[in-house]
Amino acid sequence: MTDLAAATTVSAPSASPRHTTRAGRGAARAVVHLAVRQTWRGALVVVLLAGAMTAVVATGYRATVGDDLDAQALAALAGSPAIRTLFGEPVALDSAGGFTVWRTGTALAVVLAAWSFLGVVSVTRGEEDAGRWDLLLAGRVSLPAIVSRHLAVFVAADVLAGAAAAGALVAAGTAATGAVLHGLGLALVGAVFAGTGAVTAQLLSSRGAAAGASAAVLGLALLARVVGDGVEALAWARWATPFGLVALTRPYSEDDPLPLVVLGVLAVVPIGLAPVLAARRDVRGAWFSTPTHRRPRRWLLGSLWTFALRRATRPFLGWATGIAAWFLLIGLLAASMPAFLRDNPRFAALADAAGFGGLVRVEGYVASLFALLAIPLGAFVAVRMAALAHDEVAGRLWLLLTGPVRRLTLLFAEVVATLLGAVGLAVTAATASTLGAAIVGAPLTWPAALSGTLNVLPVAVLCLGAAVAALGWVPRAVAALGALPAVGGFLLHVTAESSGAPAWVATISPFAHLAAVPDQPPDRAGVAILTCIGVILGLAGLVGYTRRDLC
Amino acid sequence: MSGPALRTVDLSKRYGRITALDRLDLEVAVGEVLGLLGPNGAGKSTTVRLLLGLARPTSGRAWIFDRAAGDVEAAHRLLAYVPADVALWPGMTGAECLELLARIGPGTDRAYRDELVARFELDVDRPARTYSTGNRQKVALVAAFATRAPLLLLDEPTSGLDPLMEQVFRAVVREARENGQSVLLSSHQLNEVEALCDRVAVLRSGRLVEVARMANLRRLHRSEVEASFAGVVPALEAVPGVDGLEALGEGRVRFLLSGPPGAAMAALAATDVTTLRITEPSLEDVFLTYYGTGGS
Ligand SMILES: Nc1ncnc2c1ncn2[C@@H]1O[C@H](COP(=O)(O)OP(=O)(O)OP(=O)(O)O)[C@@H](O)[C@H]1O
Ligand SMILES: [Mg+2]
Repeated sequence: MTDLAAATTVSAPSASPRHTTRAGRGAARAVVHLAVRQTWRGALVVVLLAGAMTAVVATGYRATVGDDLDAQALAALAGSPAIRTLFGEPVALDSAGGFTVWRTGTALAVVLAAWSFLGVVSVTRGEEDAGRWDLLLAGRVSLPAIVSRHLAVFVAADVLAGAAAAGALVAAGTAATGAVLHGLGLALVGAVFAGTGAVTAQLLSSRGAAAGASAAVLGLALLARVVGDGVEALAWARWATPFGLVALTRPYSEDDPLPLVVLGVLAVVPIGLAPVLAARRDVRGAWFSTPTHRRPRRWLLGSLWTFALRRATRPFLGWATGIAAWFLLIGLLAASMPAFLRDNPRFAALADAAGFGGLVRVEGYVASLFALLAIPLGAFVAVRMAALAHDEVAGRLWLLLTGPVRRLTLLFAEVVATLLGAVGLAVTAATASTLGAAIVGAPLTWPAALSGTLNVLPVAVLCLGAAVAALGWVPRAVAALGALPAVGGFLLHVTAESSGAPAWVATISPFAHLAAVPDQPPDRAGVAILTCIGVILGLAGLVGYTRRDLC
Repeated sequence: MSGPALRTVDLSKRYGRITALDRLDLEVAVGEVLGLLGPNGAGKSTTVRLLLGLARPTSGRAWIFDRAAGDVEAAHRLLAYVPADVALWPGMTGAECLELLARIGPGTDRAYRDELVARFELDVDRPARTYSTGNRQKVALVAAFATRAPLLLLDEPTSGLDPLMEQVFRAVVREARENGQSVLLSSHQLNEVEALCDRVAVLRSGRLVEVARMANLRRLHRSEVEASFAGVVPALEAVPGVDGLEALGEGRVRFLLSGPPGAAMAALAATDVTTLRITEPSLEDVFLTYYGTGGS
């Protein structure tokens, strides 16, 4: 074999093999360029976010909590199961680095994870389903190579984001070891979920299903961390989830690199698996394929209004399942948390500084967690409107718009179905948390819980308004702009609260205008303002939507 | 419903610097099948999308049976549409798509729909994800014809159909015309246009360059004449309608003839013609003169 190859080379020194290799490398590079072109904007946002949020919290540390801490409070805080459950195990809060990691680590890790799997699924399964990979695959690059090159671009972006966070920590004057471990942890969490997205994209034949499956993995990974942190007997669960492993590293105190090794293995497995799975399936096919024949299901096909509900049903059930699991857990913890905080007033102060005031009462505790419901609700609303934009780009809307219906009706139907979904999710969260509280005997009534979860709906309305505005004027950015008020607002809220930024900065965030219902009465002015802005944005979007060309 | 099935006045569409459609004036009479022809990017799909209100005209207006095309609630009660690229929700079966279109659309003759499903040999119990291009097109065709709408806007409806299904399509269009329905048929298949259309409109770079009855179209174009003579070859240069005269030697000539042939015939009759061959231009040739750069 070797001899033959050598002979070929000798007999034909200028022959094609070398040329082919060079061209093949060029083709592979072209795929990387394609992936970069589709990714760099999102990558830039997450990298800047990781750097900026870390820098702001780390440099603002002294101004907020640093001086208030005493060692005794810290020790008790670290021992509290409830605190550990919700915010992760607090370590080294007496240092700027430790505090920053505790305060921003989980949020940044979740943002990176979600961006990674959503992005990977959309640039791999999404592009493939749209038929754009058929052309690509007619070239000389194989399907596994295309999948792994796209994946590599996302992993590189995750590494940059981790590096930005580490760089910010070093620049703020914290210890380099902790900074590097934290940055590496963030990057690896992103890589794990980029790999997860790539694997689900090989297994499932639709973009929505693949994204949903990856989101389920994310939800379970977070739950496993929460359970491992909160339940002594299940502490080992932290070794099985990326979020637990980054916490176990304990940057700025133990600086243990071993969990990151495990995390590295967790990342390598899906990243290595995805191309293997890709090699063993058809292009536009998947491991789990859908049946080729089935009886028609004619429900909810009668009008635009019912059809909007029909399309929202399956995504709604997915979101509702995740939210129910989370809020059941929050209900289950409702008894231990306030009791702990009542016995340790120092932590109540600390929790206050971290933006979770009033935690000493059950109502205060659930209220501060209900506020977080605004994030999944905002994301749900943004994703649903992005689905409409996607249906338009995919050329499916002719099915609806050839009939005697105005496009405004189509948009209204979609908005109403989405709002109903958001209300349904709020009711689900209230019900699940009441159920959890009832199991542990905590005093939380369903109406009180419902008033708390419905209280965050104005943020969902704001997100919906932003999404509709995007649909009318910049349809490519519906998901990003729609999620911005909730996700960006939350990150801003956290950053401003923990960095001593000027007061007006915090008020930009919608979270500054949510009262802690049911602990306090709703902030009627806040609700009205958020809703009004949402409606105005929605109307602006509506004008754009009726005027522009639909593709 | 008075007036033409479809009328546009000065209809224009610009995308930035591209003029996709330039002051189009077009009419489709009730019961007429109008073929819309033109090279890629000529503006055929743009025309149809403007008529549907999916795209907004930069200027000009359009009416569907005297209702403004932008008033979709009124106009879309009278039309059905088959897009050039038929995209469906991948998880929905053909039957579900047809049901959706029937319930949202202007009304459907369900018995006729079932008949069409059988004639187009469409398996409606398969999810759209598993459909081929032609199958997806069949879903749209069945749905459109089953509405029995007075106006059918068909944008390259047969680009994915096999020859057998093409025959079914032609039969269905003829039935529609017999029922008094009007059809705007954008197509690249010239024999389909020839077989089905009463008139054709030719677009090029957004401009309407020709509208003619199918039967007149060939007449507008030059025939090729080849003749040989026993004696002297007559002088034909000055004869009206004769162009591109070529001497082929041995008493043979070839020339192009346009317009009324009387003068040329008279000139030929005065001599001793041994053979005469007149070649009608093929439809292909006719259209290619419009498509190519020399057509306008
Ligand atoms: N959304 C758009 N943005 C910019 N330009 C467009 C858009 N849609 C169409 N065009 C341009 O308008 C012109 C007419 O396009 P149109 O799709 O109407 O052509 P067509 O006659 O249907 O061509 P084909 O035979 O290839 O289907 C083309 O130059 C096209 O590039
Ligand atoms: Mg076209």
